[in-house]
Amino acid sequence: MAVAEKKLSKKLEEIQERIKADLPWEPVGPTPMPEIPDLRQWDMRLLKTYEPFYAPFCDLCCFCTYGKCDLTEGRRGACGIDIATQQARFVLVACLMGCSAHAAHGAHILEFLIEKHGPDKKIDLGGSINIEAPNIRTIVGLKPETLGDLQIALEYVFKEIGHLLDSCHTGQEGSALDYESKALHASMLDHVGMEAADIAQIVGFGFPTSVADTPLVDMGWGAIDKTKPVILVSGHNPATSTVVIDYLREHNLEDKVEVCGLCCTALETTRYSDKAKIVGPLSRSLFFMRAGIADVIMTDEQCIRTDTPQEAAKVGSAMIACLDKAMYGLEDASEMDTDEIVRRMVDNKEQFAILDSPKAAEVAVKVAMEIAPLRKKGWVTEAEAIELAKKCTNCKMCEQVCPNLFNIGAGVTEVAKGNFDLIRQQFLQCIGCGKCEEECPNNVPIFKIMQTAASMETWKCRAGRGPVMDTEIRNVGAPITLGTIPGVIAIVGCSNNPNINDIADMVEEFAKRKYIVVLTGCAAMAAGMKKDADGKTVYEKYPPDFDGGGVVNIGSCVANSHISGAAIKIANIFAALPLRANYEVMADYVLNRVGACGVAWGAYSQKAASIGTGFNRLGVPVVLGPHSSKYRRLYLSRKEEADWKVMDARKKEIVDTVEPAPEHLAYVCETKEKAMPMMAKLCIRRNDTPQGRAIKLNHYISLHKKYIGGGLPEDLHLFVRRDADIPLVYKKEVRAHLQEIGWQPREPIGLPTLIGTYPTKVSVDSVIH
Amino acid sequence: MSAVIPRHRVNVLTGIKSAKLIEDAGEYADLIKKAKRPLLVVGPLLLASTADGKFLMEYALDIAKACNIPICATAQTRGKIVELGIQPASLYDVVEIVNALKDPDWQGVKKEGNHDLVMFFGIRSDLGNQGLSTLKHFAPHLKTMTLCKHYFPHANYSLPNFKKDAKWQEFLESLIANLKKGD
Repeated sequence: MAVAEKKLSKKLEEIQERIKADLPWEPVGPTPMPEIPDLRQWDMRLLKTYEPFYAPFCDLCCFCTYGKCDLTEGRRGACGIDIATQQARFVLVACLMGCSAHAAHGAHILEFLIEKHGPDKKIDLGGSINIEAPNIRTIVGLKPETLGDLQIALEYVFKEIGHLLDSCHTGQEGSALDYESKALHASMLDHVGMEAADIAQIVGFGFPTSVADTPLVDMGWGAIDKTKPVILVSGHNPATSTVVIDYLREHNLEDKVEVCGLCCTALETTRYSDKAKIVGPLSRSLFFMRAGIADVIMTDEQCIRTDTPQEAAKVGSAMIACLDKAMYGLEDASEMDTDEIVRRMVDNKEQFAILDSPKAAEVAVKVAMEIAPLRKKGWVTEAEAIELAKKCTNCKMCEQVCPNLFNIGAGVTEVAKGNFDLIRQQFLQCIGCGKCEEECPNNVPIFKIMQTAASMETWKCRAGRGPVMDTEIRNVGAPITLGTIPGVIAIVGCSNNPNINDIADMVEEFAKRKYIVVLTGCAAMAAGMKKDADGKTVYEKYPPDFDGGGVVNIGSCVANSHISGAAIKIANIFAALPLRANYEVMADYVLNRVGACGVAWGAYSQKAASIGTGFNRLGVPVVLGPHSSKYRRLYLSRKEEADWKVMDARKKEIVDTVEPAPEHLAYVCETKEKAMPMMAKLCIRRNDTPQGRAIKLNHYISLHKKYIGGGLPEDLHLFVRRDADIPLVYKKEVRAHLQEIGWQPREPIGLPTLIGTYPTKVSVDSVIH
Repeated sequence: MSAVIPRHRVNVLTGIKSAKLIEDAGEYADLIKKAKRPLLVVGPLLLASTADGKFLMEYALDIAKACNIPICATAQTRGKIVELGIQPASLYDVVEIVNALKDPDWQGVKKEGNHDLVMFFGIRSDLGNQGLSTLKHFAPHLKTMTLCKHYFPHANYSLPNFKKDAKWQEFLESLIANLKKGD
């Protein structure tokens, strides 16, 4: 026993050394650098109310050579695993992929920037941001002051990833709930990795910070000047694309060469240069590549198509793989002479991996300038499309393989008749996977035909602005926690949307209702891809402030950490709760008081799984689009039966609130019409004042009436505590309804917390501010 | 129609335990009539109309009325159902009703005990199939059935893939007629 205690103490000493515990900016809380068991009780408390809901995507396990094992009808695999635990294991693997992608992105960026600036480069996010790294401070317990400090945070993340991945091996964990706790742990770590990556980028590349009004940048195919040499950057890691911009600036070529981007690299590049253009989200990737507009395609990492070399070759675009994550079997030319690479790319149409960013940038510019004048670039005309479409027999083979379940053949058949209306509508639903064309028995070039449907319009997207400013948090902290700003809607994630216009519609609906709308990643682009009757996008209509009615592009995928960071900052700056190594207290505060709801309407990736699950551990519910049922797991409550008990921290009494607030933590629905009332409902928190609750219920009721219809929401009574909670405009109708069902008033809770309702080292007093 | 399982299934097992495909409306009606506490879960695809202008939702309501089956309205279907003169028994969304159904002790939408047959109608196929997978694995106490025009392998009973909507509509009309016949 004494030996064990000594070991524990030694371990704690090491952690304290790594987090520089002697720096007295705040006392070190109970969980510095938490390991798998350290926040397990918090997870189990969450999972008691929000039970995992599994929708197996496969009946089998085929992970090891014992199998395949059939897990239907209560059968266990050869290793003893059951279907629920197998789903949870799969979810953990997905979250680990996501967490690893962001953390490795961060590690690469840090290595690149430390090489450039040195490890002692100071972290300075401008005059309006003092809490520079709320996730790292809260989870790791470290206040990062230099780029080198960010490496400490990432080393911790990588160590935990190792342990978590180990647990996925056959013959390890046997509990679905424990796998869920591990998935929550991995996903919390993801927010550390993302935060480290984006802070490094802001500091190292000079991205905007401490500013709301970032430039409006051009977006869309029509924005790209194809008469110039065009370089397309694709992926997430801006190490190379920023060097391309540097090279163009140094050689006075910025106005002579067009740089455009797909997916998050596009967002990052426009944070570096407002002359760069955004092509669009991932769903437009294959379309754009096949159009052949890009003279050179440069890939970096994550969500890049694995057939990029083949697609580039088909249309005569040159191609360079710039990061080791995806080298496509290409020859590594990192140490080859630049002129030789250029000659071989131009003369022999060879493709290369070039992991040296300055060299890749120089090669890309030189190749683009040489081959662009020789290439013919143009869109398919309507007359050409009509001819091409005549091969379609509308056999519906394409519909059978469409992930978004629509029949593009019907649209193509209409094109053959000269009618482009249907295919224009279908283009909004298209996720750009190309499976339809692959399946077509008549080899109809569907993507070429769809070029005519693809709008040549240009839109505006606001450049990503990075962290929410501390000054903004001071202004909105009280209205958010009291409920008078009805909520923060965070629309994040990928472009696997039922319809791309859904995103702009959701933004519009909530911005005009004075919610704070924040966006990241492909969703941030999609939001700008719809204009109103006056020709304006949401970025042009609404202010860019983190305030009621603001529409804020936070940035790329890794900028999601600034949204979780903003929630933590409300607890720390507004409520003055210490955050250092104090995750449970922060998450409990967010769950009970910060009316925020994530929306990952088009989530497709493993990164989206870990981002969302990380928000869940912090107490932020997430609404997902219908495709996300394929993630296999949700966190749902049963509002009539679930445990809604909290501790009233002031009275030290456990109280049954009856209130499902928030009702779910991870929820899938089928349509935007259903999603929007749910988003409003998921912003309700136990801490709302009567005035705030009335505002939130006003939106819940009005959205329900607008999109669902048929009267008042059936669960309204659960959210009305006293008469004062009833919104004025619906007073008469709601009072009559409540009387009819025998509703009884109940007292609001003074200081609701889950701390004290489950075994934890954290004291109830620690949530009192 | 069950998948054919090879002798040494460990090596080649690839598929799922599939739904029984039923093409006979009379057989479908018998299964529904045999159920003690059936439930009809309707989704937003029923807000569309047929070529001859009939709301698909009307088929669902006719089926419900024929056997006094309670309706669970998911997504934004409630407004249309009320407009057509029916008050749905419950307003769970699809993942919520599936979550409740998998609890054998749940008392159902009428508080009379959990349902023994759950019919799904009008939910997009990816989401619908995932919900049916949940029930296949975690709700052995009930049977599931689909009424959409495509095959749903995770259900217990499913219709085939209808190539023509008219054939599917014929099936639904025949089903309603069989249900109205009584025992």
